[in-house]
Amino acid sequence: MQMRTGLLLWTGMIIGPMAVEGQSLMDPRVVGLGAYTPAVKDSRGFGWNPGGLTQIRDWDFSVSTYTGVSSADGGFVFHGLTLGKRFMDNEALAIEYSPGTRLRLVVPPTLSVSGIDAPASNDREIEYSEQGSIGFAHRFSQDLSIGVAGRHRLERITDTRISLVPRDSILLMPVSSQIEYEARTWLIDLGVLWTPFQYLSLGATGKNLLRLRDATLPDSLDRLALPREPIASLGTVYRFSPEYLLALNIATDGQGMMGQEWTPGLGIALRNALYVDGHESPAIAAVSLGLGWSYEFVEIGVSYLRFTDRTRHSGTISLSDFDAKAVHSLDLNPYVRDRVSLSVKAIFGNIRESLARIEQVEMYGAVYPSSFELFAYRPIGKARVRNVSSKRIQARVSFFVDKFMDAPTESPSFTVEPGEVAEAELTAVFNERVKAVSKMTIRDANIYVTAAPAEAYDDRAQARVLFRGKNDWDGDARSLRFFVTPDDPDVLRTSRDILLQNKEALSVGAGDLDSFRKARVLINGFAGKLMYVSDPKLTADFVQYPSETLKIRGGDCDDMTVCFASLLSSVGISTAFVDVVPPGSPEKSHIYLLFDSGLKPEFGDGISDNSKRYIVRKGKNGTETIWIPIEPTVIARGFEESWTAGAQEYFDEVELGLGLAKGWVRILDVN
Amino acid sequence: MRGLMVGVVALIWCVSVMAGDIVVQKVRGEVTVRQGVAEVWNHVATGDVLKPDDTMKTGEKGSAVILVTDVSGSGMEKRITLPSQVIMDMSDVRQLSQEELMLKLAMEKVRSSPYEWKTDELNIPNASVVHGADKGVSHTLVGNDIQIGIMQMNGTRVLFENGFYPTCVLKAMEVFRLYPPLGERFENRLMVAEALERAELKGEALGEYGGILKLVGLTAPQEQFVRSKIVQLRK
Repeated sequence: MQMRTGLLLWTGMIIGPMAVEGQSLMDPRVVGLGAYTPAVKDSRGFGWNPGGLTQIRDWDFSVSTYTGVSSADGGFVFHGLTLGKRFMDNEALAIEYSPGTRLRLVVPPTLSVSGIDAPASNDREIEYSEQGSIGFAHRFSQDLSIGVAGRHRLERITDTRISLVPRDSILLMPVSSQIEYEARTWLIDLGVLWTPFQYLSLGATGKNLLRLRDATLPDSLDRLALPREPIASLGTVYRFSPEYLLALNIATDGQGMMGQEWTPGLGIALRNALYVDGHESPAIAAVSLGLGWSYEFVEIGVSYLRFTDRTRHSGTISLSDFDAKAVHSLDLNPYVRDRVSLSVKAIFGNIRESLARIEQVEMYGAVYPSSFELFAYRPIGKARVRNVSSKRIQARVSFFVDKFMDAPTESPSFTVEPGEVAEAELTAVFNERVKAVSKMTIRDANIYVTAAPAEAYDDRAQARVLFRGKNDWDGDARSLRFFVTPDDPDVLRTSRDILLQNKEALSVGAGDLDSFRKARVLINGFAGKLMYVSDPKLTADFVQYPSETLKIRGGDCDDMTVCFASLLSSVGISTAFVDVVPPGSPEKSHIYLLFDSGLKPEFGDGISDNSKRYIVRKGKNGTETIWIPIEPTVIARGFEESWTAGAQEYFDEVELGLGLAKGWVRILDVN
Repeated sequence: MRGLMVGVVALIWCVSVMAGDIVVQKVRGEVTVRQGVAEVWNHVATGDVLKPDDTMKTGEKGSAVILVTDVSGSGMEKRITLPSQVIMDMSDVRQLSQEELMLKLAMEKVRSSPYEWKTDELNIPNASVVHGADKGVSHTLVGNDIQIGIMQMNGTRVLFENGFYPTCVLKAMEVFRLYPPLGERFENRLMVAEALERAELKGEALGEYGGILKLVGLTAPQEQFVRSKIVQLRK
């Protein structure tokens, strides 16, 4: 007769010891520094703050192992491996396989029947593990990254049922059978890493913010379920120098860490940390020491973690003392033993350590398509570059705007001492597409820094570049000459048509006056067809290209000046702008035109016997010639009147007012 | 009643000439005035008020006396006699400070040289040689009328004799530019050097005396005189 008791016995679990078999402090750097929320810089320990993943340079891979330090512990145990990749500059992804992130409690049961202890055939086990994680981060700016990570947690309780079964020779024979209960949960964490200054980083992580379960433990085993309440963790890293940093971390579960790292050189890093836990006694729960060494693309780390409460962290505990609710993290909890960890990390792809970092980019102003060539020589902005290495570097900064530039423009190389900052001015060689910008547009510009001897860029930044419309003008008379287009087909056609119509009149008279007479014919030929029109409202610095002025037959003084400078230049007559900014009345600024008659001063009577009507200037070839002032706003009344008005203005402003000598009148040669 | 009207007219006249205007006090023979940048000469009569941008010309047997009130805002009155054969810009009948003169001299250099683009500015150079010059161009112009230049030089001398040294220097430079032969005459250059000396521009005066020594055809006494001036200035 077989009799099944169907009795579940927990007797042994109440009195039996447990063995803590694993926990996850995956990497020696994590263990050695302790306060890791603001210190994540690659795929190792990204669960502390997934926002730090964006600091991965390219591919990275690490594998780690650990061992306990007591004789009862076996050899090294494979802890896990991580794989990380940064892509599209601002995104990073990492996965972690960590069979060693595990907390296993083994409860040897005993069965007591009629005063006889009989061992059962199977242990009871409580196992918690997080064997897989995945993290993703996005860098929103140079200073700010946010990441999200998911951890797959398994809580498994293996129960042994004992049944008393009658046998032939024995009245009741204990027979065991196993029942497993599992809870599987995806726990979602969110991390932020903010580096407002080169020397200061702040990290914040919210753990267990979301819980996605696909199986749960029965209510009767709820006391063995791990807590799932959200935990906030906040930390900071302060870099006192490139060689030394201090890190602090606190969390709402009562844990805190303080760690330091010193990198004296030769790729060596020394670390140590204090672990504080409000639930433990003494409160300083553990200390750690760490040593790291890196060379080229390999980094090796070793650490030692020692707990101060030798009893609690002995590796055995009675079930009555075990409190699953105290296990907020499998990384660090009251049931973890002393350990030595070892890991190897390798970087692939862009394996070179960054030597320089762009701290700030400043753009000086907008790009005016009319004078875009200027930026090949005149800086468009500047970048502040810090040497983040321990060596003196030679750096270069390059600037690139997609579509408007064919290739990045590089700055001259400059030297930066370790830890020091240098500023480099950015220039830009834009292509002709800039001239097609019809209205104000904002484009992204990429700024790269390269430090010798590397060829790849060490850091990259973005800045906004404002491209003004093709008719916009910055108000600087020097820029106005870039609107002068003597080789424009419309200008050439117009000037030649007018000269052709007056061919006979031009063929009579002294050749020395050719330029003067051509100018007169050109201006008279078009003057009657033009009308002075002010700029459109709200666009005071709007300049028409000559072809536009010729087409719409009107414009203001800037447009007229530019148009006639182009017409005159198109027939080989040199021109100059007279830029007048009256002192105290900049709103009365004005521009008019000079053209070179080509006539020597001693022949001035050929033009006028009143020398106030012209100006003697030395040209680029060193010869003094007579230049004629033209006031374009009255050009519709013909050459003589615009000449008279221009001459009178020049005499009043330059001769009487001393404007040229005092600097409020400038003469700017156009060509 | 008549006395009152005369008084009112006199008051209006005084007010009208107070703002630095120039009044023609006496005219003899042919005296004309050209306004601003106009090209036409008009006869002038006693009592006419001239503007600073006017130019006065006296004929072969003409002369004029002008009264300049409030010379350069100093409140001083100055009576100037223009002998025959003189062309003088009224804008030159003013006292420039030494600083203004130096600025003007600097301006002469600025006016004579194109704007120097800074090194960081893109300057697209022109070809120094223009191909395709018209070989058919004829050169038939005659030079400026030297007689006009002489009259202007006479005007410059009037400025010198009346103590308007800065404007004398500047005007002389302009005349030399338009009438190069006049700049090669010893007496004209000497006047400029002395004007600079009296304007207390020692360095510029030394330069001008040095320039005189380079003139062709200097007599021995002239050269000795200039050298003595240079020695004197260097002390």
